[in-house]
Amino acid sequence: MDELEILKKQWQSQEQVLPHLSYNDIYKMLLKKSSSIVKWIFYISIAEILFWTLLSFLVPESSTKFSDDIGLHNILLGVNVLNYSVFGFFIILFYRNYRKISTTDSIKDLMRNILRTRKTVKYFVIYNVSASILLIIGINFYYYVNQDIVFRFMTEDYGISNISQERFMKMFFVIQILFGIVMIGFVLLFYRIVYGILLRRLYKNYKELKKIEV
Amino acid sequence: MNQELEHSFVTQLEENQNIVHKICRLYTNDSDAHNDLFQEITIQLWRAYPKFRGDSKFSTWMYRVALNTAITLYRKSKRSIKTQDFEGVSFKITTEPYDDTTELQLKLMYSAVKDLNDIDKALVFLYLEDKNYREISETLGITEVNARVKMNRIKEKLRTIINP
Repeated sequence: MDELEILKKQWQSQEQVLPHLSYNDIYKMLLKKSSSIVKWIFYISIAEILFWTLLSFLVPESSTKFSDDIGLHNILLGVNVLNYSVFGFFIILFYRNYRKISTTDSIKDLMRNILRTRKTVKYFVIYNVSASILLIIGINFYYYVNQDIVFRFMTEDYGISNISQERFMKMFFVIQILFGIVMIGFVLLFYRIVYGILLRRLYKNYKELKKIEV
Repeated sequence: MNQELEHSFVTQLEENQNIVHKICRLYTNDSDAHNDLFQEITIQLWRAYPKFRGDSKFSTWMYRVALNTAITLYRKSKRSIKTQDFEGVSFKITTEPYDDTTELQLKLMYSAVKDLNDIDKALVFLYLEDKNYREISETLGITEVNARVKMNRIKEKLRTIINP
C-alpha cells in the first residue's frame, strides 16, 4: 500500500493529537476582530477612493481664480462633472463586487471575487492617474499656447515680479512636469508595496487553481 | 434569538473543532500561527453561520469556509525550518504490532503534504478526510474530472518525494 493510503487510514482511524478548545474559548473568539485579507482590501480601497475624491476638492482658491481668469472655467467644470460621474460609477461597481465576496463560495469563486474587487480599485486608480496626466498635459499645452496671458495673470495673482517672461515660463513648466512625475511615482510605489505584499499569495494560488483547469 | 444562535454555533464548532485544527496544522508552522488561523476561521464561520440552512451537515459546510479562510488569509511568510514539520504532528499509533517504520513513513508523508502549495494541500486534505471527488471539486470550484487528474498527479509527486 502506498504511503498516502497509510496516512489516510491513520488520519481516519485514529485522531491526531490535536489541541482542544473549550466552549468558552470558542465563544470568546466570536468577539474578536477579523484580520482577513478581504477586510484589508476593503479598508485600503475605501481609503484610496477617499484620497482621490478629497484630492479633487483640494484645489486652492487662488488656483481656481487663476484658471477662471485665463478662460478655463467651463472646460474645468466639464472635466469635474465627468470626473464625479466616473467616481460614482466606480464606487457602485466596487460595492457590488465587494458584496459578492463570500466565504461560502468555492475556493475558486472566492478568489476570483476578491481579485475582481481589487481590480475595480486598481482601474479606479489607473483612471485617476491617466486622467491627471492628460489634464496636466492638456492644461500645460493651453498655457504654452497662451503664454502671454498666463504670465500676465500669474504676476498679478501671485504678485510675482522681477522676472522675465521667458525665464518665468521655463520655471513654470519645469515645476509642473516635476510635480507630475513625483505624484505618479508616489502612486506607483504605493501600489508595488501595498498590493505586492498583500496579494502575491492570492494571485499565486489563483493561478495554481486555474492551471488545473487547463 | 441571537444568544440561541450563538449557543448552537459554539456547540457545533466545539464538537467539530478537530476539522479546523487539522487545517490549521497543515497550513501553519507554529502554535501562534495555528491559533491565529483558528480564530480567523471561527470568525468567518460565525459570519457565514446565518446563511447555513442546515440542508447539509455542519461539518460538511465547515470545510469550505475553513479552507477558504486558510487559503486567502494574509500571512507573513516565515521561513519555516524543515525539521519543525516532524515535531508538528504526532499520531497515536495503536496498530499491532507497533512499528517504527510505519511511524517514520507517516511523518515523512505528512511533511511532504505540508510542503505542497496551498491549493494542492486543500485537495489532499479533502482526500484524507475521505471526501468524494464530487465534494472536492465543488469545494475547490473545479470540475470533477480535473480534480481526479490533479489528485493523481499529486499522488505521483508525493511518491517521488518519499521514494526518490
